[in-house]
Amino acid sequence: MSTRRRTLLKVIVLGDSGVGKTSLMNQYVHKKFSQQYKATIGADFVTKELQIDDKLVTLQIWDTAGQERFQSLGVAFYRGADCCVLVYDVNVMKSFDSLDNWHDEFLKQANPPDPKAFPFILLGNKIDIDGGNSRVVSEKKARDWCASRGNIPYFETSAKENIRVDDAFLCIAKAALANEREQDM
Amino acid sequence: MLPKCPIVPRANGYPIVPGACGFPSPMASDSVSPSSSSDSAYDSAAYQNPNPNPNPSDKPINAIDGQLMSSLVLADSTDSVNHEEGPPSSVNEGDIVDANVLASEESDRTVMVEVDVREEEEEEVQRSEAVVVEERETGGGGGEGEVWRVNSELEVDAPDSPNSSGYAGERGTSSASSACGTGEDDICQVRDGDFVNGVVESQAVWIPGKRHVDEDDASMSWRQRKKHFFILSHSGKPIYSRHGDEHKLAGFSATLQAIISFVENGYADEANNGDRVKLVRAGKHQVVFLVKGPIYLVCISCTEEPFESLRGQLELLYGQMILILTKSVNRCFEKNPKFDMTPLLGGTDVVFSSLIHSFNWNPATFLHAYTCLPLAYPTRQAAGAILQDVADSGVLFAILMCKHKVVSLVGAQKASLHPDDMLLLSNFVMTSESFSPICLPRYNPMAFLYAYVHYLDANTYLMLLTTSSDAFYHLKECRLHIEAVLLKSNVLSEVQRSMLDGGMHVEDVPVDPSPRSGSASPHLGQHSPERVREAYTGTGGPCGLWHFMYRSIYLDQYVSSEFSSPIGTPKQQKRLHRAYQKIYASMHDKGFGPHRTQFRRDENYVLLCWVTQDFELYAAFDPLADKALAIRTCNRVCQWVKDVENEIFLLGASPFSWWGKRIEKCFAEWPVGGLIAGHLRL
Repeated sequence: MSTRRRTLLKVIVLGDSGVGKTSLMNQYVHKKFSQQYKATIGADFVTKELQIDDKLVTLQIWDTAGQERFQSLGVAFYRGADCCVLVYDVNVMKSFDSLDNWHDEFLKQANPPDPKAFPFILLGNKIDIDGGNSRVVSEKKARDWCASRGNIPYFETSAKENIRVDDAFLCIAKAALANEREQDM
Repeated sequence: MLPKCPIVPRANGYPIVPGACGFPSPMASDSVSPSSSSDSAYDSAAYQNPNPNPNPSDKPINAIDGQLMSSLVLADSTDSVNHEEGPPSSVNEGDIVDANVLASEESDRTVMVEVDVREEEEEEVQRSEAVVVEERETGGGGGEGEVWRVNSELEVDAPDSPNSSGYAGERGTSSASSACGTGEDDICQVRDGDFVNGVVESQAVWIPGKRHVDEDDASMSWRQRKKHFFILSHSGKPIYSRHGDEHKLAGFSATLQAIISFVENGYADEANNGDRVKLVRAGKHQVVFLVKGPIYLVCISCTEEPFESLRGQLELLYGQMILILTKSVNRCFEKNPKFDMTPLLGGTDVVFSSLIHSFNWNPATFLHAYTCLPLAYPTRQAAGAILQDVADSGVLFAILMCKHKVVSLVGAQKASLHPDDMLLLSNFVMTSESFSPICLPRYNPMAFLYAYVHYLDANTYLMLLTTSSDAFYHLKECRLHIEAVLLKSNVLSEVQRSMLDGGMHVEDVPVDPSPRSGSASPHLGQHSPERVREAYTGTGGPCGLWHFMYRSIYLDQYVSSEFSSPIGTPKQQKRLHRAYQKIYASMHDKGFGPHRTQFRRDENYVLLCWVTQDFELYAAFDPLADKALAIRTCNRVCQWVKDVENEIFLLGASPFSWWGKRIEKCFAEWPVGGLIAGHLRL
């Protein structure tokens, strides 16, 4: 085909409420950060276009609400997802403990054809807080968890300081593209 | 007026897709058009797509900066109560809320779809109302729809924060109108200022192709467009958008999917799984949803067209997609929910935009009937005879058309063609290739047919449909044979003459009821000298008759008079089209109808409708027209139609199995072979 094909990837962002999902998205898409916390109700959607190698890719990012009362949205929201971004707050142990739950629930609801190969990524957010002194989840602990879940790529990020946010989303987009190519074959 | 909510069966999974069916790209002309270089008519600019596939790479990546955030707010009733300033019953716009709405307040379920609107130029805090009509699959009767209205105060975001994707088409701002293009439903029409340039034929001003590709839901101009159409997949991936770039609208598309899925999931209530959202009203806007398995279609409109009309338009849009891909596209979604079907539809934007344009002017889009080019009976007979010759040689359908009007058509034994399929087919043909795999959704939604299309002159084209993918050379021989005969028998020159003369003119409606012989009725193309003079005075036909449409139930055909002053401009024609559309819907409203007659006077027209089991007549008169005279005129129109029926309709020339029987029935019931079964009285 002579015209370059555009690819659209559906990206689901999951994690406990308050870990910074919306802030990461705002930083990534709008290059903005706000201290004010506003809970996401239901879901928010943003799009971001990027070029990966020779390919134009549009990320359709689904920013879901962390609160449990919105979890009934499940299947429909996860249907047809190309990849999933898990987020926790390095300063809150509970948000890390919930990762198992988010990961398993996603696979259950989205029901991808090959769950083991489904592209996930883990972001440990808010590394800027208190110069890292209030941190309760070590990088090693997070990396061990990733290894136990089939070598999920891991990034330590700060939505506020814009640390590694672009890298993380580029990584997940590439993983999703690679996964798509496998499925096409 | 809220529509009744019929019970829609829940789709459990997707239709089963038998057999293997590939997806040849409809635009891959080099592989499926062996003749594209030899047939000169293929080069005709009349149906060349000027820009079938605008290169998406033209757009800078950083165009996404400033992209707004689409937001769907879903709240349960306890949440929403806090935000409301008054109880739901405090609404006062009676045009939306009726007794059913208020009665439903007892329900314990509520769905709030908040439409956030950010107006840069309006500091005033706006209020929006949203009404969600849900269908419940259980329960009988039509009154099960739950309707909730939530008044919510809109949040006006700080200017630099990401804001939400609302939709503000009804609020025109002066700054945005400078971006006005040449499309219909353009933003410059927000103040009812339709595009007018003096060209009489409304379809002539329309230039095919997608416009406003740089817009997205962040663009004020995009938000102000009066009518949007979206096709998306059940995972929320965009497939088609009438205005703007599909990929840039990915967030908006996700919002639409979320609304549909939210209702379908039976929010917080497993017992209500399978509900469908059909319509959301937000101010002047209607958001109409149509779910077809894994394909979701949405129309957002502030054109005040009836819900039924918009829903019918979405059905046709879906049909057009099926025509290009067949329904076996569902199987791709079953195998892989991530499936992206935009590559399969590549280059077909123009087919969809042309169909959407036809919703503005082509009565076939709501009448479910086709129209014929007026021709002398022997001329049409001659065309039908030669088409019949090739139909016996393995051609499924042979259709000779001039623009959207049928000259003649024949089908193989037992094969019948639905008027909707003809509409979709001719729309596809007029905007695309010459030998294409196509699917007729009303004929067989699972299978491809192969359409050979040849333009005999700038407007007239022949379509030969077959089930065999390698019949190209045979079809070409058929075409050469048909073309030679049509030339020899002067059919083509008659067709061209008819195109120039037009069909029925209101100025020619006989003033005195003609005798049964019909000889007093003017034949088409034989205008009385007075008509020319009257046309200049701009008063239309007798007794203030401005226009009429006549639909024959048995024939699946309609005839409409030519537009003339005082309905001379595209803007006036579009307004009349919409008025017809509205009155058609009201005549066919299942809750109240079917009406037999309707006489409606407003500041624009007197509209007179008359529906019998044999025909439907829609007539527009001067708003000051006398009722008794208008009724008498309608009777004359019907008589006139009867007198010239063999020139304006395709009668009995084709051996459609169902059709032959119907025609026999017609003639048996009407001793004089007429189509008029009654006489309209006061």
